[in-house]
Amino acid sequence: MADIDTGGGGGKHKGGKVRSKKGSTRVDMTPMVDLGFLLITFFILASTLSKPSSMTLNVPDKTEKVETEPIKASKVMTIFLGKENQIHYIFGKAANEDPELKTVQFGPEIRNAIQENKRKIGEKDFVVVIKPTKESTYKNLVDMLDEMAITKTKRYALVDQMTPDENKLIDPKMK
Amino acid sequence: MDMTAMCDVAFLLLTFFILTAQIRVQEAAEINPPTSISGIKVPDTDIMTISLDKDGKVFFGIDGQPNRVSMLENIGEVYGISFSDREKKAFSLLPNFGLPINQLKSYLSLKPDQQGQIKQPGIPVDSTASLQTNQLSQWVFNARKANNKLRIAVKGDNLAKFPNFKNVLSSLQSQNINKFNLITGTEAPPAGWTND
Repeated sequence: MADIDTGGGGGKHKGGKVRSKKGSTRVDMTPMVDLGFLLITFFILASTLSKPSSMTLNVPDKTEKVETEPIKASKVMTIFLGKENQIHYIFGKAANEDPELKTVQFGPEIRNAIQENKRKIGEKDFVVVIKPTKESTYKNLVDMLDEMAITKTKRYALVDQMTPDENKLIDPKMK
Repeated sequence: MDMTAMCDVAFLLLTFFILTAQIRVQEAAEINPPTSISGIKVPDTDIMTISLDKDGKVFFGIDGQPNRVSMLENIGEVYGISFSDREKKAFSLLPNFGLPINQLKSYLSLKPDQQGQIKQPGIPVDSTASLQTNQLSQWVFNARKANNKLRIAVKGDNLAKFPNFKNVLSSLQSQNINKFNLITGTEAPPAGWTND
């Protein structure tokens, strides 16, 4: 143990003076060490080690009306966030042009779909429109925005209004 | 056995953890945020947090006790409620809260341990500009009046439904706040992904 040796216990000195025998100065430090580790454990558990990160979300200004050129449906991938973590998407056609509605899951499936469609259209013109439905959760939205970051899709829009055509298209999947 | 070295290391670690520790604040609601690969850290100061729990209840909080007091004074003027010094003091200690403005006064008069037992109903929020049904936008407005450097962070639960988030979003957008942070957990990006 950690201790301080004071060299006590003197005995026969030349002077003949008899000193009282000193007790050992060894201190049992086990309880102190125990307490030390207890405190360490407490502080490790109580401290927030991993700070949460954050993603920035910029939404367009609602008051500012900028006339923009309508985007051609042929270059747009519209992603609907459905219920039970399902993703439905249409690509290349507007909702009233009888497009093929594909259903995929989060993870590699949607990532590959985005990347494949992006390759077809080209980096510059590819646009993703994200439309969360009433059934989707906040997690779905954040995951989708994260997919945008992962696939490095620069042009994407978050739209919360569904057109009647889109509703007709998506309704069978929502039941 | 000589434990001196171990003892030294233990206390060194102890000192380190004591100095670096930030004790977790008591949140009004438990929220499990989704994860993202984004590596931007949330700032510690000048931050306004809007939390959305899994039932769609909205909680609100800003940092800095003086800011909280001046926010409370501002919002009291809007709703015609005056708060006593004791209530202001109690309010300045709340990291976040989720109460309609008419329940705030009675909540602040409770002792801290009683406050913890109350299930907070959440701040009323919808997509209108009404003073009563959309109190969140009033809180946001008065918080920014109290501290105009505030950045806005939205912290939502995994299971929160999108329409609830949409209401929060539209009350921010109606005040011309178009840039904010979504607080998420950290997740490793897929293999081979680089940030450029």
